[in-house]
Amino acid sequence: MSDKDDSETPVTTEVTPILGDGNCEPAKNSKSFDQSTEPGSKSGPVASTRKRPEARCSNDPKAAEVLPVQASQAAGKEPVSKEVPQTGWGYWGSWGKSLLSSASATVATVGQGISNVIEKAETSLGIPSPSEISTQVQYASEVRDAGRNNILCVSGPFGIFSTISTAVQSTGKSVISGGLDALEFIGKKTMDVIAEGDPGYKKTKGLMNRNSTLSQVLREAKKKEELWTSSEVTMETDKKTHYGLLFDEFQGLSHLEALEMLSRESEIKVKSILNSLSGQELETLKLELEQLKEAFSLAEFCEEEEEEKKGDEDFTKEITDLFSSLRISSRKVTGVKARNTAYEWIGTSLTKPLAEKEEGEKYLEVESTEQVNKNSIEDIHAFAIRSLAELTACSIELFHKTAALVLHGQKQEVTAVERSRTLSQVTVVLCKELSVLSKEFTTCLTTAGVKENADVLNPLITAVFLEASNSASYIQDAFQLLLPMLEISLIESKTESPQNLEGQRRFDL
Amino acid sequence: CPLSMFFRKVFLNSFSGVGKSCLLLQFTDKRFQPVHDLTIGVEFGARMITIDGKQIKLQIWDTAGQESFRSITRSYYRGAAGALLVYDITRRDTFNHLTTWLEDARQHSNSNMVIMLIGNKSDLESRREVKKEEGEAFAREHGLIFMETSAKTASNVEEAFINTAKEIYEKIQEGVFDINNEANGIKIGPQHAATNATHAGSQGGQQAGGGCC
Repeated sequence: MSDKDDSETPVTTEVTPILGDGNCEPAKNSKSFDQSTEPGSKSGPVASTRKRPEARCSNDPKAAEVLPVQASQAAGKEPVSKEVPQTGWGYWGSWGKSLLSSASATVATVGQGISNVIEKAETSLGIPSPSEISTQVQYASEVRDAGRNNILCVSGPFGIFSTISTAVQSTGKSVISGGLDALEFIGKKTMDVIAEGDPGYKKTKGLMNRNSTLSQVLREAKKKEELWTSSEVTMETDKKTHYGLLFDEFQGLSHLEALEMLSRESEIKVKSILNSLSGQELETLKLELEQLKEAFSLAEFCEEEEEEKKGDEDFTKEITDLFSSLRISSRKVTGVKARNTAYEWIGTSLTKPLAEKEEGEKYLEVESTEQVNKNSIEDIHAFAIRSLAELTACSIELFHKTAALVLHGQKQEVTAVERSRTLSQVTVVLCKELSVLSKEFTTCLTTAGVKENADVLNPLITAVFLEASNSASYIQDAFQLLLPMLEISLIESKTESPQNLEGQRRFDL
Repeated sequence: CPLSMFFRKVFLNSFSGVGKSCLLLQFTDKRFQPVHDLTIGVEFGARMITIDGKQIKLQIWDTAGQESFRSITRSYYRGAAGALLVYDITRRDTFNHLTTWLEDARQHSNSNMVIMLIGNKSDLESRREVKKEEGEAFAREHGLIFMETSAKTASNVEEAFINTAKEIYEKIQEGVFDINNEANGIKIGPQHAATNATHAGSQGGQQAGGGCC
């Protein structure tokens, strides 16, 4: 995707050398990749958007070797620039396109002989509705040629999409030998990708590179931002849009790390328990653990049932209800507060003069006092990124605390499976909330930036969606970390006699 | 080139109610809040300090003191560079059980971990149950640094954390800590531009890796 910016954006042009020699630039410009989702990206605030660092193009040199012809062709080609309508910033409008084009661009890497794969992929885009898709198919074919130019680093720019496209890419390799089945698979994969157009709210788990832990991924991302920040950013305001830094500021990283520690330890414990069992006992337990795992995959498919638009009370109530069914009080569920603050802000930023705004946004320090009726799009962007980081950090904290309480062996009024289902619901609610919130913010941006140049506005909007998408996958990954704790809980409920639970008190989160 | 450091974990541990969370809040926010919710698992605090002209970020893990959380808090010890072992000078029982906490800390972390013994609530002199000399003797016996603090009046709070950090720093200088081993909870990196007051200066030393190409 970064292809289309090559001609226009100084930052992304750094990517192009890769095409020629297969040499990849070091991470210093990695953050600049992100903005390439939209044409005419500027190196401005969006540069702060962080991609998930596990996406890399380390296998690119290989690809270059395999496809020397293509690469040389690519080098000779002019990047194709495309017009993307500013309007219609729904998920389909933006994400669908990015997904589609990255998918097709990746498919192109498979080899020249299978360009029909693209058609295959395109024709199988039956979901969600032909009319919605048609524009994107068109877009995708536009992108396709350009995609060839840029195959080498195409997986770089996108957070989760890069992982998706990497998945497609690796599938693509087998295409050459695999024949039609594989083609079909690619088509299906593309459909899946499209079906996931709602960014990151499904199945993004599992796409993560499991070799590194989530907190490592995030730490690395933060580190990169810091390095970048220290070397290039001098203005205090620029730091406000660094998701990773903000996420850490809200203690998201720490909670994540702690959660991972608990998860890892519990996993070891579960393994050793399983090893100590045999025969019927083992089979029964395995079966039950399987049920638990199923409950953990629930988050994926119950997402579409409900309409996304919800009132304030709904989210708060839903979270509270869910936690009370976990027998954990959500009195101090900070996410609710963070989220409400965000909504208040959105409300005020659209309607009220700056002076009247509430304390929640005072850190924005809007200098331009002559700007009476609205915040600048940069302010909105900064606040959006901050809110997303905060809500995500709070969600991770919530999961960490839940993990601690589950391990703590609270009186088990609910079974581990029930708990898992509830937690999976919590995950869905949180992710949905992120989605709604990011939409609100982008609406806000669109309204505020109606007079702005698309080159300025679009990257900001993209950044918000991208971070929302990343946030959702972090939350989902964190949710998956809870599984070992619930396994322990399940095992303990089977072995422990109820009498030694009498003294347990309930803790409030 | 000056370095920035990141002491990833400095632990606060011991009994519930001795004032760990208060100490942390006093250190990070410079304020005292007498009533804290019971800590579940672990809470976090962070602050930048300067030692020897170097910016160091201390990340403090405030563990739950509740006995029932004991097995959970053990999971968190790994990767700690230092620990503050806290007792309440007005409660003899918190002093008497120090050895179990000490053993816990030593067992589940690296052997070089710097441990400081803190007798908290020094403002409550009239209710004192544990003499300062007893604390000193215990510290001597077990090779700990010792200090009495008051989270309420902020007396010695700053010093307690900073002295712990200094001790860690000295161990690094002596080469006791392998700074390349993240399990020691220390990270070192190039000093960042002064403009990046708190955040950027903190974790620069993390291992690079991954990334594009």
